Amino acid sequence: MKKNVSRKQFLQQMALLSGGATWGLGSISGKAYAQVPASMASMVAGAEKGKALVIIQLSGGNDGLNTVIPAEDDQYFVKRPDIAIKKDAAIPLKNGMYLNPAMLGIKKLYDQGKVSVLQNIGYANPDRSHFRATDIWNTGSDAKTVWDEGWAGRYLSLKYPQFPMKMPSHPMAIQLGSVESLLFQSDLGRFGTVFEDPNLFYQLVNGSTADSDLPPATLAGEELGFLKQIASSSIQYSKVIQDCATKGKTTYSYPSSNLARQLQIVSKLISGGIETPIFLTTIGGFDTHSNQLTQHANLWKTISEAVTAFQADLENMNLADSVSVVTFSEFGRRVNQNGTLGTDHGTAAPMLVIGKTVRGGLIGENPNLKNLDINGDLKFNYDYRQVYSTIIRDHLGVDAVKTQQIFNQAFERLPIYQNSPDQLPEFTSLELVTSVPNPVIDFALIQYSVFEKMQIKLAVYDLQGQEIQQIYQGNREVGSYQMTVDLARISSGFYIISLSGLNGQRQSRRMIKQ
Amino acid sequence: MPVWNSTHMSHLLSRSIFGFSKSDLTMALGYGTFVDFVDKSLLKDEPLPAAPNNWVNTMPAQVQQTDGSTGRWYTEMTAWWYARMVNEGLNMREKMVLFLHNHFSNERDKVSYPQNMYAQNQLFRKYAFGNFKQLVKDVSKDPAMLIYLDGNNSRGAAPNENYAREVMELFTMGIGNYTETDIKQAAKVFSGWQVSGLTATFVPARWYTEANITVFGKTAKFDINTLIDHIFDQKVTAQFICRKLYQEFVYYKPDEVFISKMATIFKANNFEMKPLLKFLFTSDEFYKTEIIGSKIKSPTDLLVGSAKLLQVKTPDLNNFYELARTLQMQLFQPPDVAGWPGQREWISSTTYSYRGGFTDSLLSGKRYNGVTVTSKLDPILFARTFSTSEKANEFVDEIVGLALRFPLSDTRRKFLLDTLLDGTIVANYNTYTANTDARINKFLKALMRLPEYQLC
Repeated sequence: MKKNVSRKQFLQQMALLSGGATWGLGSISGKAYAQVPASMASMVAGAEKGKALVIIQLSGGNDGLNTVIPAEDDQYFVKRPDIAIKKDAAIPLKNGMYLNPAMLGIKKLYDQGKVSVLQNIGYANPDRSHFRATDIWNTGSDAKTVWDEGWAGRYLSLKYPQFPMKMPSHPMAIQLGSVESLLFQSDLGRFGTVFEDPNLFYQLVNGSTADSDLPPATLAGEELGFLKQIASSSIQYSKVIQDCATKGKTTYSYPSSNLARQLQIVSKLISGGIETPIFLTTIGGFDTHSNQLTQHANLWKTISEAVTAFQADLENMNLADSVSVVTFSEFGRRVNQNGTLGTDHGTAAPMLVIGKTVRGGLIGENPNLKNLDINGDLKFNYDYRQVYSTIIRDHLGVDAVKTQQIFNQAFERLPIYQNSPDQLPEFTSLELVTSVPNPVIDFALIQYSVFEKMQIKLAVYDLQGQEIQQIYQGNREVGSYQMTVDLARISSGFYIISLSGLNGQRQSRRMIKQ
Repeated sequence: MPVWNSTHMSHLLSRSIFGFSKSDLTMALGYGTFVDFVDKSLLKDEPLPAAPNNWVNTMPAQVQQTDGSTGRWYTEMTAWWYARMVNEGLNMREKMVLFLHNHFSNERDKVSYPQNMYAQNQLFRKYAFGNFKQLVKDVSKDPAMLIYLDGNNSRGAAPNENYAREVMELFTMGIGNYTETDIKQAAKVFSGWQVSGLTATFVPARWYTEANITVFGKTAKFDINTLIDHIFDQKVTAQFICRKLYQEFVYYKPDEVFISKMATIFKANNFEMKPLLKFLFTSDEFYKTEIIGSKIKSPTDLLVGSAKLLQVKTPDLNNFYELARTLQMQLFQPPDVAGWPGQREWISSTTYSYRGGFTDSLLSGKRYNGVTVTSKLDPILFARTFSTSEKANEFVDEIVGLALRFPLSDTRRKFLLDTLLDGTIVANYNTYTANTDARINKFLKALMRLPEYQLC
């Protein structure tokens, strides 16, 4: 996954990045940066213009079982005699699952079909260290592989292929806070612009300068190059951030929590026209080793109220169709309570995806409290990268091949969004993704994914089921594929493109030939 | 043996203490050899400093959380620690206390009582050059640590795993060198403790009852002493701690060959810090040209070091306190149990910008938000402490040589000279002309806003 940038290339990038002569803030001109045209960027990564993903990181390891609660499962009360939340106190969802009583606002959104609750999300051989587990979630690796780039960093390097030689006019990623997350880092540099307050950020940058000197080829020179990159992007983006914040509106009264303040800034920037596709917000305090009941409930009250305000604000401004919120935490917590009325580090936990374009509802089986791993922790049902792959494809509009590049592996999607595939993945072993253009004149680009190694057949049929043209037949390894097919010689009319596997699975799409 | 010169000494001072002034450098260069300097000054034992106030010995009480005393006392203690750093002279004890605070990271938000955090801070001071193994044993029973990692009230029958995990992962061995079972077993050994006020008490009835437990393949009725001994018998432990020191004081990407040499010294000296630090700071590796200037200053390095550089004897410690929070290094409040990761993690678009806001404030006498900063620099008096003060070119070179460990490019140097001259010419420049105070201020601001100034 590592892109190797030679030292020379890096230095060239630095020179371009800092634009030429020394400048003060007053004299920055947009021309100092040749911009990647928006149309080209979207062609490259296939991103839908204007879509934004807002990530809420729950730091410390959220106790999933007291968030989405199996309050009809006796085992839950046996294993947590003092910290279980009783059915009568909790908010019923369905299938015996309940929400923490503090999540009233989220329940309201759930009832409106705006919350997809994904159960038992995790990965194989889960790590219980805060730091390693956070890195795994941020980089999108499996437990055994160490990557030093964030999955969002890889997404952004596909979306902005000219970075860091050329920077787009709007920030590529925004993090509300101070310390840049690994999520936005890549071997090419850092994609994130990090700040707490748009106006203050602008004011502070004032007075910094950037220059075109190449840093020397030493260890210290590498660090200097890094500092110069941060200085340059701060100088470039502080203005547009302030402008969007000034233009933007707030149409709903937010609660006074720090998370609400972060989400309010995001909403303001979006309404002010910022073109940033990913935002990261954070709430800490989830490492509930002792006396967790009140603390954990307060945290979810904060999230619930903040997200409710954010959603209402976006809906008031007709921006809700383009924004989706997802929560994640580095791990869930142990099923058994510990001796200090808390819970120790565990494994799988639920994630929430919130927005107007989700399907809503409870997705996946309930946590199985009898079939635990050897440490007494939950087994996961779905890999967290299935969730991210679904978001990247169905919300951010990236194609299957590019999404596979981001994780170095194809992941079956979950039915999170209205445009996500229907089935739950255990039934899917292959997927016919797209055939473009449609209607087709001569050449069609067909994308498909195979989730277990098998023999497949891809072919064009007429509406009577007669095979018209075979495209591919043979063994395929797990992965996403794309093929260009010449359909010039078939006559105009309606056809079916069909992908079938030797195991009997089949997916079809209609196609019109002009 | 490293060559004895001003470049090497400046490098040693920027890494081992919180920066230096011109007179600090002159004094250090009076020692003649690195061995002498390290023995007689840098690693010299000093008596423990007096407490910031009487509250340190008072019984922690719920009322202090509601009447504002806790917050006030933390502020007072933080200012007290900053004053120790500003006045550290040429001794690195305070730097080691900060290293240990970062290593055994505890957050005031969870520990709550400043009394406990103060006792822990003095514990670190006591062991700054002392025996690291004994320190881990003491830390395992330290009230602040027991509160922070939930050892308090942990019982052998259903022990809290928090401390057992972190003592292995972060304090001694590093991730990947133990199993989940080792953690579960070790958690039993650390159980049985109860914090009451300023002290921690062991309650045998709350300890584990098994005849034996097994950790890293050895079966015994472990107690804290024997378990920590067992941890320090593991091959990875010395290497892990030396790696942490290397990354703090030398370069953030570890050099495993040199770290092995450090580990050998550390083990041969039964985990005593002083011989290890002496080895490090008199080694050729530490003074390699490529290492010099490769460290990104921590916010504490930046705050204290800038005051020292500008010879501000009594800096505005409220300004330090507020800015340190903003720069993501509030003392007694590291981000989590892993401490501050350091180096590039200090820098984001926002913290980079605030760094400039801080150095500006020392010269303008105002914070970024307009609040007055006391002890604003008198630029003329400052300039005249240098023999080059009346010669613009030489003055720029002298200040740059003192402030930057990083070779400055010609463009940058010219930019600084132009800033100092501000329209006048070299021949007409002196500190007796009107507006030279403003010129010097501008020059120092520009110097400290250079990305090079963030390196040491």
